[in-house]
Parts: sequence; structure tokens; C-alpha cells
Amino acid sequence: MLEIRSVVRHYGKFCAVNNASFICPDKKITGLLGVNGAGKTTLMNIITGCMPAGSGDILMDGLALREHPADCRRKIGYLPERPPLYDEMTVQDYLAFVCRLREVERADIPGHVRNILELCGLSDMSGRLLGHLSKGYRQRAGIAQALCGDPPILVLDEPTVGLDPRQVSEMRELIRRLGENHTILFSSHILSEVQALCSRIVIIHHGRILKEAELGEESRLLRLSVKGKTEEVMRALRDVPDCSKVRLLAEAESGFVECEMELKQDAGQDAEVKLFRLLAARDLPLRRLSPAGDSLETLFLRVTDEEGGSR
Amino acid sequence: MIAIMRREIQGYFYTATGYVAMGIFLIIASILFDLQILASRSGDLLTFLGQLSYLWMLFSPIVTMRLTSEDRQKQTDRLLLSSPVSLTGIVAGKYLAALFVLLLTVLSTFVYILITAMYGTVYPGELMVGYLGFVLQGMAFLAIDLFMSSLAASPVTAALLALGMNFVLWFLDLLSMTVPAGIGRVLDFISLYTRNEPFLMGQLSFASMIFDLSVIVLNLVLTIYFMDRRRRKGI
Repeated sequence: MLEIRSVVRHYGKFCAVNNASFICPDKKITGLLGVNGAGKTTLMNIITGCMPAGSGDILMDGLALREHPADCRRKIGYLPERPPLYDEMTVQDYLAFVCRLREVERADIPGHVRNILELCGLSDMSGRLLGHLSKGYRQRAGIAQALCGDPPILVLDEPTVGLDPRQVSEMRELIRRLGENHTILFSSHILSEVQALCSRIVIIHHGRILKEAELGEESRLLRLSVKGKTEEVMRALRDVPDCSKVRLLAEAESGFVECEMELKQDAGQDAEVKLFRLLAARDLPLRRLSPAGDSLETLFLRVTDEEGGSR
Repeated sequence: MIAIMRREIQGYFYTATGYVAMGIFLIIASILFDLQILASRSGDLLTFLGQLSYLWMLFSPIVTMRLTSEDRQKQTDRLLLSSPVSLTGIVAGKYLAALFVLLLTVLSTFVYILITAMYGTVYPGELMVGYLGFVLQGMAFLAIDLFMSSLAASPVTAALLALGMNFVLWFLDLLSMTVPAGIGRVLDFISLYTRNEPFLMGQLSFASMIFDLSVIVLNLVLTIYFMDRRRRKGI
């Protein structure tokens, strides 16, 4: 497990990361979501040891990066926004070099490199110079280097930036496969990408962590349109046993109340049926009941707006 | 450290850098050999080595220019900094790679000894001492220029900085002959060229050896310090 504890980082007087704390559970893909300049890259550089934190701790399986830098770096593979490739090397030579850098046993290197090449779909490119690869393959080579030494934690900084739609889809599939065996922290400002890949999100804004949530949690958000007096509708919704939060969105002149309701995480599959029955019993006709569309976008905008939007 | 050294050595010979540095050195060395030894029918290899030592001024910036500055420019430093290797290991690996190219170049100059030995007499003892001074001086230049590379954001800037620094060192050496004796003594004390003179006379000077080694260690420590400072600042 990767744990970030009260990390603070300043550039001069500018606070790039402000008391950031969150966890990335084992074998899950955690999305670090934030607008450009939110502090994602700085935080990732700190997590991977490329830059020290002003204060706070990074823990990897209980080991503190500050006290055990070499041991922690063995546990982590990093793909920076610009893949760190030596253009004059072939893919195979480069991966063998990274394996040596990451202290893989000499005898194991050829087999290890072969497995990584296969996993990343680079087998056909193994003899090509990195400088001659397309953007998509360079990105794959970047991920491949992060896998050298088989680190259990992967930190990927915007791995799909600059790729065409087909390459984006292939890259997502690769990351999804890696997520089955690795703890992944993945940064992006593309909401749909995070929604497609991650089981958990962390929203960072102006260097502060504003929200840490399971994505499934957010999909339990329902949008309703109910006819009746606002107070009665809200009271009825709050009385639903699986309801954790209700938010009024709008009151239409036609007498319909538009609202959003968050179900508890342990709510059963029949939560919507119970809701329907309860409203019917109180004579509150239901015009629409649907999962809140773009829930992540709604959540992101709501959370960042509450914080004051752009500075 | 070994992994980094191997990669940098590969880098020298996968690109033109290694060939250019060695090529320029050996072309000029061959011209000097022809003029100094063959044309004048002299067997004085120590004087020839003294002349060759001025070539470190050109050779060293070419060899060191991309060592740390290119990592910074291409952001491959992220790979090194996130690996289990320490900053000291990174700098040592890079320095040893540059030293490998230097030793390979020095090894190539042995052909001049063979040619001289075919037509005259070579004194192995004094030649070995001469070569020791020659290599130590080259190593000091590499360390100074590696430090210059760590200050630069691109290989071209690094080469210009290193070349500038080497010319300043040479100029200070020339200046020592024209300034008052007190200042001249100070300049002689810190001059890499004056320090090499005992070796060129076949004398094994421990003072000069310690001086050269101190210059090497000081510059490597400064390189590590400035790289760490940049890492801490996040630039």
C-alpha cells in the first residue's frame, strides 16, 4: 500500500502541495485528478523520490521514503509525463539497462526483459532505436521501464497525453491489465479516462487534496424528479433507509422537484425499488429516476467549485 | 553505478561523441608527433606528452558535455533519481565512463611509443611517470568539466562553460609568468599545468599527485552537491 501523509512542498513562497494525505490501496488503480497546475506532477515527483517533500512522509508497505530511500525506490516504478528514454539505445538495450539500474540479477535480465516486452506489446520493436519510435510506442517503452525490477507500485503521470484515440484505448487496456497485479497511482485531468480506469479517485486542487473516494461510491448517485411540495419530497427522500445525502437541484414551476440523492455504500441492489415504493406510499409521483449522469464530472466540478474554482 | 557507467560508455559510441573526442585528439596528437618527434628526429616523448596535455582542454568538454546536462534537458534524470542508485553512485558512474574514454584515448597514444622505440631509445621508467602525470591531469580536467556540465541545462551550454573554464585555467597559468612573484607563486600552486611539470621531467611528485586527486575529489563533490541542490529545489 502507498500512503501519503501530510506532504507539503513549496517552490519559494508558492505552495505547490499543501498538507496532502491519501492512500492507494493494494492492487487498485487510484486516479489522481486535477486541473493543469493542481500539483499532480510535483506530488508524483515527491512520491517517487525525485524531489524531497518539505515536510510529511511517503510510506510504501509501511517503509518511510525519508528513512529508507533505496528500499522504497525498489518498490516503485515511475513513468513521468515525458518518458525518460535514451534515443540512441534500442528498446531491448534500454530495458536491460533499467533492469541493471534496478538491481535485477544479471542472469534474470534477458527473461525479465522478454516478459516486459511481451506485456507491453513491444516484442516487434525490441531491436528498434527508441528515437525512431512513434509517440504511442515511446509511451509503451516508458511504461515498460517502469515495470523493470517488477515493482509492486506504479506511478504514471498522464500516460495518455498526446496519443491518438486508438493508442489511448490500447494504453488504457495495458494499464487496466497492470492494475490486476500492481498498486497504481495514475494522474490525469481527463475525467472520462479516470472513470474508465480507476476504482478510486483523489481530487487535488491548488495543491490540496479535496476528495478521496471510491468510484463505485459516486455511481450510487441518483437524480430524481418528483411531483410534490419541496419539504415533503425532501423529507420522504431522507426517510429512505439507504439514503445518505439529498441535495435539491431545482424547483420547477410545474410542481416538480429536481434533486440528487446519494445512496449509502452498503445499499442493496433493490434500493431504487424501496425508494419508488416509499414515494408511491406518500403520494409523491415520480417522473424520473436515473443514475446521475457524468457523476465524476459533477463531483469534480462541485468539489473544486466549493474550493473557489481557479485562482 | 556500474550500470550507469556502462550506459554512458555505450552512449559515447552509439553517438558520435566518443569518436569525435578521440578523433580530434588523435589527429592533433599525430600532427604534433610528426612535428615534435619524426620531423626533428627526437626521441623526447616527455616533451611530446607535455604538448599533448594541452589537448585535454578540448577533449574534456566534448566528453563531459552531455553527462549530466543532457539528462536534465531530456528529463532522463527522473529515471536515475527514482532508481535505488544514490546521487554519489550516479556521478561516479558518469565520471568513470568519461575516464574510460580518456584511458582508451591514452592507450591509442601508445602507438607513438612503439614508433619511437623502433627508431630510437625509450626510457620506460620516466615514460611511465610522464604518463601518470598526463592521465592525472586529464582526470582533473574531466572532473572540473563534469562539474560544469552539472551546472548547465543543455549539452551546448555545458561544453561552452567547460571550454571557458579550461581557457581560464590555461590563461591563469600564462599569467603567472607576468604577474608579481607572490601572485605568480599562488597561480603556479593552483595551476594544473605547472603541477604536471615534475612528471614531465620524470620525477614522481607525490605533492602533484595529491593536488590532482584533490581537484578530482573536490569537483566530484561539488557536482554531487549541485545536483542534490537542484533535486531539492525541483528544477
